[in-house]
Amino acid sequence: MTVRSIRFRLTAWYAGLLTAVVVALCALLFLHLKSYLENTLLETQSRRATQIANTLVAKEESTGEAYVSRAVAELYDPEKSDRFIRITAGDGRVIYVSGVPFSHAFDPAAVPAAPASPLAAFTRKQPVAGGPALLIAAVRAGGGASPYLVEVGTSAAPVETLFHHLLLLLALGLPLVAVLAASGGYLLIHWTLRPVDRIAGKAEQITQHNLSERLPVPGTGDEFDSLSIALNRMITRLDDAFLNSKRFVADASHELRTPLTILRGELESMFHEGVPAPHRERVGALLVEVERLSMIVERLFALSRLDAGEAQSEWVRFDLAELATTTAGQMTLLAEDRRIAVSCEAPSPVMVHGDRSRLKQVVVNLLDNAIKYTQEGGAVRLRVLASQDLAFLEIIDTGVGIPPEDLPRIFNRFFRVNQTRSQHPEGAGLGLAIVESICNANHCEIEVESVLGKGSCFRVKLPLAA
Amino acid sequence: MRILVVEDERKVAELVSRGLKAARFAVDVAAEGEAGWAMANTYPYDLILLDLSLPGIGGLELLRRIRLRDARVPVMILTAKDATASKVENFEAGADDYLTKPFAFAELLVRVKSLLRRGPVSQGGTIRVADLEIDRLTQQVRRAGRRIELTPKEYGLLEYLATQPGRVFSRTMIVEHVWDESFEGLTNIVDVYVRHLREKVDAPHPVKLIHTVRGVGYSLSEDSAL
Repeated sequence: MTVRSIRFRLTAWYAGLLTAVVVALCALLFLHLKSYLENTLLETQSRRATQIANTLVAKEESTGEAYVSRAVAELYDPEKSDRFIRITAGDGRVIYVSGVPFSHAFDPAAVPAAPASPLAAFTRKQPVAGGPALLIAAVRAGGGASPYLVEVGTSAAPVETLFHHLLLLLALGLPLVAVLAASGGYLLIHWTLRPVDRIAGKAEQITQHNLSERLPVPGTGDEFDSLSIALNRMITRLDDAFLNSKRFVADASHELRTPLTILRGELESMFHEGVPAPHRERVGALLVEVERLSMIVERLFALSRLDAGEAQSEWVRFDLAELATTTAGQMTLLAEDRRIAVSCEAPSPVMVHGDRSRLKQVVVNLLDNAIKYTQEGGAVRLRVLASQDLAFLEIIDTGVGIPPEDLPRIFNRFFRVNQTRSQHPEGAGLGLAIVESICNANHCEIEVESVLGKGSCFRVKLPLAA
Repeated sequence: MRILVVEDERKVAELVSRGLKAARFAVDVAAEGEAGWAMANTYPYDLILLDLSLPGIGGLELLRRIRLRDARVPVMILTAKDATASKVENFEAGADDYLTKPFAFAELLVRVKSLLRRGPVSQGGTIRVADLEIDRLTQQVRRAGRRIELTPKEYGLLEYLATQPGRVFSRTMIVEHVWDESFEGLTNIVDVYVRHLREKVDAPHPVKLIHTVRGVGYSLSEDSAL
């Protein structure tokens, strides 16, 4: 999975966004919940304080301070219920304070006096050293001009504990949610994007030779369907354009034949009917050009027939090694003439299926090129070997080589390496195009390696016959 | 010898008939299928040259009709099509030979002559050019009475040049005729073989028979003026 892939980016965005939303939501929830819980606790303390104030402290004048203290201790039993109760007289005397609660969460004696406040009732959150804070509600009551202050409080420990639990849950749960979201999201996106892989894979396979094939249309009616359909329409247009250009080449090479026949015939008869010497040479030169033109037309026509798949009529099973050996034998004279050694390593039999005479043309063209582009005294090797289910035909020379920038184009029609154009002006740049077309028609693969100045190796791979 | 040329392309017809007349044949030209059929039906031709793409009844139909009436007259097809499948179809319809445009007239003449020679002596006969003798039956070559050993390709090349002494054969024609279609366009092989042939046929003798016509091709002739 690459960082730039849509899968990765979508998943990262999705998981990141989800985590952020969850974190924000939890933070909001926490803050709200905490203040709500604390307020609820404080309200309870307020009610209790008001109760004490109204029922006991307000009647202090008739019952006495000692009675109030006793009554509070008896009625509310604050130590058992973990509560803090303190009654302070207007002059700052503490007339009652609850004892240490069972839970030992705080020490009532150590709770500082309430801050001065003009209000009749108020609340506060009193921090306690080494423990949760105390939530205290205070109410003034009785005592005439200097009223008593009744304080009722409870530990915030349950709230804190709840929050610790929640935080722990979140700290553990959030990564889990993020991982689940990421993997779920990835799977979902992967599943959604699968048609893209199929379309891309198929599109990769479609070349100018199988433009009649089409991309798969998943049939789900979604955007990928429209993409496939749109791409298929484009391939159809390409196919049409290719067909048109092929038809044009076929028609043009066909239509050129009759005028060429006339031109050739007229020039020939001029040549043979004895034109005066100075013109004779020129007519001869014209004849050579007409012949070259005829050859180009012939080759173009052959190519267009190969393109149209009309050239597979003589499909036979034959020995490629034998074909290579014979052909090399027929061409040794050509090589000897340029003092080039042709060696042939082709242990028979290597049986393949194909159009024998067309494949012979491949051997002839490749061998001819190898001989043509190798300096005198060089060597050309022809090898045929079989491995597993493939037969290999290799033609290796010690020739001039092909510049790396030209390698991808050597099979193009009319393409010629600049240097060879000047050294071998008689060619037309169609030989290798024909070789490639024959290979395609015979389901062979052709590849080439070349080092400039060292030589080239052309390799034809074809399936072995059973 | 009388030849019928059925060809709708006026210039091609003219060219062929002019060339054949120069080679001392009697030539009639028909420009379309029906006229061709009428003439083939009327006169006893020794050979018919037939273009396939004819107006009216097509060349193939005309060929079938000719064959129904007379199974022996040689028919050579001239055409711009050369798909292998249609070639087979044409031979099945009864064509004796087949020439694809653009053809060289020399090639046409070689084939016409060979078709006319057909019959019991088709492969036989001895060709003589000056003191060179080519026995087509045994494929033996002698010069000034001395036997010359040639490889099969060298023999093929020499025999082809000797079919029409004095005429210039282009390299392309020679490749098409002496080698197979796989060698199409490989004209440099001709130069190499001609050189070897010269060494065997001409080198020991003062009179040279194989001539290079610069830029055009080769010919076999006693006359060195070519």
